[in-house]
Amino acid sequence: MNKQNNIVGHTLIAIGMALVSVTLMAGCAQPRPDTQAERDFSRLSPEAYAEYLIFRSGSFNLAQETQEGGTAADRMAQDVLQRMCSEARNRPQPEMAVRIVGAARDSIVYPEGGIQLGDWRQGAELARSGTGFRIGHNVDDHSRPVGGNCYACHQLDPDELGFGNLGPSLAAYGALRGDSEAVRRFVYDMIYNPHSYFPCTQMPRFGVSQFLNQESISHIMAYLLDPQSPVNVRHSR
Amino acid sequence: MLKKFLAGVALAGGLVGGAMASDSPYLTGREQLLMLADDNPAELTLWRGEELFHEVRGPKNVSLERCDFGLGPGVLKGAYVRMPRWFEDAGKVMDLESRIIHCMKTLQGFTDEDDPVARKHSSDTREADLVAIYTYVASQSNGMKWNPPMNHPMERLTRNAGEVLFHRRAGSMDFACATCHSTPRKRIRLSFLPVASNVEEWSKAVSWPAYRIGHGVVRTSQHRVRGCYYQMRQAGIQFGSDASIAIISYWTHQAQGGVATLPDLKR
Ligand code: HEC
Ligand code: HEC
Repeated sequence: MNKQNNIVGHTLIAIGMALVSVTLMAGCAQPRPDTQAERDFSRLSPEAYAEYLIFRSGSFNLAQETQEGGTAADRMAQDVLQRMCSEARNRPQPEMAVRIVGAARDSIVYPEGGIQLGDWRQGAELARSGTGFRIGHNVDDHSRPVGGNCYACHQLDPDELGFGNLGPSLAAYGALRGDSEAVRRFVYDMIYNPHSYFPCTQMPRFGVSQFLNQESISHIMAYLLDPQSPVNVRHSR
Repeated sequence: MLKKFLAGVALAGGLVGGAMASDSPYLTGREQLLMLADDNPAELTLWRGEELFHEVRGPKNVSLERCDFGLGPGVLKGAYVRMPRWFEDAGKVMDLESRIIHCMKTLQGFTDEDDPVARKHSSDTREADLVAIYTYVASQSNGMKWNPPMNHPMERLTRNAGEVLFHRRAGSMDFACATCHSTPRKRIRLSFLPVASNVEEWSKAVSWPAYRIGHGVVRTSQHRVRGCYYQMRQAGIQFGSDASIAIISYWTHQAQGGVATLPDLKR
């Protein structure tokens, strides 16, 4: 698998270099506007042309620095999971699904001293906030806390009206399921890498990508599971 | 205040959705927006665009009346719904925004540094000329069906690469456009999401220019593409770049046969 990907990768790079050198040569002979006509794209597959568009056509600001310390080019490069799910249009065949789930399980790092619940009040803020990791024309300032934006896709506090429904409702989550070791572990896994249960899910891998750190995860988990949290309090009474 | 108004619209859309003609919550919400607003403020932009289009401007002292949007110099009726398209004179597939800039440069002699070309988006205090001209030219296709040509090999390759980009997951949140625009009747927060495979919804969704109530100005296709890549935490996309045109080519082709609302009114 890995070997194959490498070969594909190298072929793409080779095609890219060929394209670049053709353009450079054309540019030396005679300065002309950079047009699609003078390059021969006709033999490229849509996939190869899309890769060219992302990495070599100047379409994206790839040199921009990111909050995590790399450049925007790193953000555009797909990891194995992103590539497999994109190619499978998020409906992996059973065999691939099993592989994805296995790799996702292996990716999960648990906090030392077990999974603890933090402060649900801070968790409430983090579940609402959509700030973090945006770049481009308006870079997010990471001196402010990075939120998980759970409300974009989930209902949580039943009194909060601004919630999305791309994911299932999580209202009364702890009140309905309790706060056992197994429940904690499931919620932690879902936040860290949800492909461990739902291969090619729409939900982001908040732990793998280090979008949320351990402390933030513990606060959000408290928001979901603490009986005092507004997510649960109405149901518990 | 505005947020409350929008929330009310979204909720009302959910409640009375069943009673309306369409059972698409995305479209029902849009209908209510149109009913609540007396006028579309984009009309003002359109009129200003019409004046700018016919005005003699730039170092070469000509208007844009001889600009060819694909159906021949000066033909505006139905030109926009047949874009993006291949332009032999530029050797490129272009969308309407890039084509207007092309004509501002080649016909009128403006350069990249001149304000009419440099200012791509409007702000609260200043409306971009480009947005106004775009709104005027686009309005000449109002009510027509989206129908981008797929005859030239680069038109097809551009559309097909756009499809790949649309489904390509990357970035800190593992998002692709498809993450949010594939499942019917879903919302992000209070916003109902249009689905790219539903022609009725999608032909409305890609109807740009639109006056965005939340922004208080008219926005364009290029502005929407930039915003979507921004929310996905992927790299900043360059205005008028080949990748942006590929996305717009795919999204217009997905709307093929659906009716364009130009200019539109959006949240
Ligand atoms: C882009 C949308 C999206 C975002 C943002 C999101 N989720 Fe999810 N989530 C989903 C989807 C979709 C599922 C259902 C899994 C599936 O079918 O793919 C899910 C499932 C879950 C579940 C499992 C529910 C169950 O018991 O079956 C939990 C717990 C959860 N999410 C927590 C969170 C938390 C906490 C956050 C914020 C840090 C969050 N989600 C952000 C989309 C999202
Ligand atoms: C995280 C979810 C998400 C992702 C990913 C996403 N969008 Fe969107 N998209 C939205 C939301 C929310 C709206 C606004 C709908 C509204 O305002 O009612 C929207 C609006 C749109 C619209 C205009 C429809 C309207 O009524 O405003 C288009 C077209 C569109 N998106 C295309 C794309 C493309 C192309 C991509 C990928 C480059 C993309 N989206 C990625 C959530 C998303």
